[in-house]
Amino acid sequence: MKQKLSHLWGRDGTKSVLASLISIVIGMAVGALIVVLVGLLNPSMGPSTMWEGVRLVFGGLFSTGRDAAGQLTFGFNSTNLGNMLFRATPLILTGLSVAVAYKTGLFNIGAPGQYLMGTAATLILALSIPSETVPPALIWLIAFLGGIAAGAIWGCIPGLVKAYLNINEVLACIMTNWIAANLVTWLFDKGSLFEHLQNTVENTKTAYIYKTSFNGVETSKMGLDLIFPNSQVNGGIIIAIVIAIAMYILMNKTTLGYQLKACGANRHAARYAGISDKRNIVLSMAIAGGLSGAAASLYYLSGNTEFFWSTYQTLPAIGFNGIPVALLAVSNPIGVVFTGCFMSMLDIVGLQLTNLTAYNEYITDVIIAVIVYLSAFSLVIKLAISGGHGRKKRAAELTAADAASPPPGGESPDAGNPTAEKGGEEA
Amino acid sequence: MRTMEAENIIEMLHITKEFPGIIANDDITLQLRRGEIHALLGENGAGKSTLMSVLFGLYQPEAGEIRKNGQVVKINDPNDATALGIGMVHQHFQLIDVFTVLDNIILGAETTKFGFLQKKEARKKVEALSEKYGLKVDLDAKVEDITVGMQQRVEILKMLYRDNEILIFDEPTAVLTPQEIEELMATMKEFAREGKSILFISHKLNEIMEVADRVTVLRKGKYVGTVNTCDTDKQSLSNMMVGRPVQLEVVKDEARPGEAVLKVEHLSVPSHTHKKDAVHDVSFEARAGEILCIAGIDGNGQTELVYGLTGLEKCSGGTLTLCGHDISHASIRQRGENMSHIPEDRHKHGLVLDFTLEQNLVLQRFREPQFQHMGFIKPAAVREYADQLIEQYDVRSGQGAVTIARSMSGGNQQKAIIAREVDREKPLIVAVQPTRGLDVGAIEYIHSQLVAERDKGRAVLLVSLELDEVMSLSDRILVLYEGEIVGELDPKATTVQELGLYMAGAKRMAKEGEGA
Repeated sequence: MKQKLSHLWGRDGTKSVLASLISIVIGMAVGALIVVLVGLLNPSMGPSTMWEGVRLVFGGLFSTGRDAAGQLTFGFNSTNLGNMLFRATPLILTGLSVAVAYKTGLFNIGAPGQYLMGTAATLILALSIPSETVPPALIWLIAFLGGIAAGAIWGCIPGLVKAYLNINEVLACIMTNWIAANLVTWLFDKGSLFEHLQNTVENTKTAYIYKTSFNGVETSKMGLDLIFPNSQVNGGIIIAIVIAIAMYILMNKTTLGYQLKACGANRHAARYAGISDKRNIVLSMAIAGGLSGAAASLYYLSGNTEFFWSTYQTLPAIGFNGIPVALLAVSNPIGVVFTGCFMSMLDIVGLQLTNLTAYNEYITDVIIAVIVYLSAFSLVIKLAISGGHGRKKRAAELTAADAASPPPGGESPDAGNPTAEKGGEEA
Repeated sequence: MRTMEAENIIEMLHITKEFPGIIANDDITLQLRRGEIHALLGENGAGKSTLMSVLFGLYQPEAGEIRKNGQVVKINDPNDATALGIGMVHQHFQLIDVFTVLDNIILGAETTKFGFLQKKEARKKVEALSEKYGLKVDLDAKVEDITVGMQQRVEILKMLYRDNEILIFDEPTAVLTPQEIEELMATMKEFAREGKSILFISHKLNEIMEVADRVTVLRKGKYVGTVNTCDTDKQSLSNMMVGRPVQLEVVKDEARPGEAVLKVEHLSVPSHTHKKDAVHDVSFEARAGEILCIAGIDGNGQTELVYGLTGLEKCSGGTLTLCGHDISHASIRQRGENMSHIPEDRHKHGLVLDFTLEQNLVLQRFREPQFQHMGFIKPAAVREYADQLIEQYDVRSGQGAVTIARSMSGGNQQKAIIAREVDREKPLIVAVQPTRGLDVGAIEYIHSQLVAERDKGRAVLLVSLELDEVMSLSDRILVLYEGEIVGELDPKATTVQELGLYMAGAKRMAKEGEGA
């Protein structure tokens, strides 16, 4: 038994999981600390308010409001859990997008652009195909696959540029992100091809595209609304988990995954073994792009999300948040499912803080930011756990961690909300 | 006791260092006398580098102590080592490529005044040292632009600049040309004459016999013994190192060459550094049942010739015929159907270092139905095949098939590549410097493998820089000089001296068709 335990302890994966958990715990603790600090600086907040804030930071997901006596109550909250799963869906997929690329030696910072292209393709297909003649389920499928294809094509571009011109994929990704942002705006703008998709019925807000449910297209609930009543959850989360499992199998069990990883780990050796390095670089960026496209498809096909079309000076946060999701999961596709859920849980926590206390949701942004930084350091934490022998190895891994450290990002993935001013700083 | 203290400048007593799955150093004692050249001999993975890393403060031993001049010292990091006057030339140089030679030498030991660098003083000191020991370097050249030999001189100057009196050389000759090796030997002797003490890690017996006063032998992490070079010979040293009698000479029967497997006609391969072709109008045949050796001094087009043959580089002219098929424009994978390739650079081309050993062993074969079904890898089949190769070719590693290739010793990495390539059973084996940096045990093994493949009727094309290897292993020698074949020699009818003349370009055969 002891031997088994020490074997488990000795495994690399165990240490990675622990390192991520430590990042999370420290992040939450910092969040709690800030709740206390804000409370101390604000005379209207007493110790009880602070304590409520701290409890919500850790247990916001299970908060059920307040009882008659004004005390916080906790328990099973189907709305919170369902919404968490709903918000996790696109995050899991953009996380997979970054993780799969990273496993093949590429840093896909182009997820926002791929996500936008997927959004545009999905919405155009879902809203343009007449539902009087075509069954909505078929439209749904076409729109979903169209979104994946658009993302994949957009992901191909940095891949091609990298494979044939040896231009760093990070540069190409950043540029294609902004091209996507402007292209999408142009597509839906006044006088453009798809201007008619602008929402003129529920015109309480301007510059939104119709929800796909306007054309009768929305993702099946797959029975999840029965488990999590009063929430936005739909079958998308199941599709995302299936895709995550498929990615795990692709990367670890197939010859294609073997080739992709070989190219990523040593392009020269792969070429020596007759593996086409160029083809594999393009392919892995296409897969990454397709996953980001799928994220957009599932998010907008839910039928209750609407797209703010004026994206020319903003990039969707969901795309960037794929980076911490992947980092925290150490690029393990199965791990991404859990870290994606965790990130969306923090969103729920933020909402609970806003609704139930004098604190606002931005505290959870701080938590996410701390975790993002720590997840970049998770290799250091991992080495600290293993006692750190081998300086050379540590140096090498540190360099790798530097290269992978994410850009500052991490607003709540509240995509219905225009985040124009904030998004602009990110790339 | 007193005399002992004065005599031994460094003593490493009962050092034990463990890594997961392996005891790299098991109760090892090493005593270095003042002013001696002390060789540390052992096979790859015997623990030489680990022991030196302990001395240099890169690793902390689990047991044992280090004494300097009889005083126990604790070396926590390389800074402590430097403070104790210990300097090290690593096997893989620790230089910053984009810095100049001078900047590299003074890095970490800069003379400053009010926070400003005093490069003039530093330059004077380095120039004096370089003059004194004949270590020619261009102080203003960037490290990336200078030869490997000069980079090593930069490393040596780094130690001298820091006034180190204990100099560790970790396999310094592995990367040098024969001339550079001679110069290095002379420099080391000069250092010893001046009273500096030298630890010289090597597994080249010739060099040890030539330059060292005493030898400490390690085997599989254990201390075997320390002997005076004047009381021993190469054969007994290699027996000590390997633990069994070793065949230093290659044993082989007369070659019985058959059909030509590979025909090379007027092959030219472009160069990346010059406008001129790196390989120009080269024609030859490699025949079944024969070891054909391409000899030459490094940089005369051998690398490019192999790239051209294997498809890693596009040829600019000529035709290649392999087993009757024109492969001049074939892809690497198509060529691989009849050719296996033991690459020159085992880290760049030979292995995916972050993959496990078993993943590396199927690198060339993972597409075969034996290892995959409908694109899904058969893990059990891969494991079984890997275990079989590991067993058959005696590839040693910490965790067997799942060992990460990066963590294996150089010799075992090379054995893994040889196992993979030889086991593919292709009619042509291209082996580029297959024994570079390996110990006698591994060399003996690889040589016997290549001879065995020859005897099975395969064509072996060997590219080697080592004259001994060329003379002993090959059945026919082609000398490459400045990208052209300048001579075809029979190893039995020629001498090392004559071969050397061809290699240096001093002598060449008349080209066919040009008239004798």
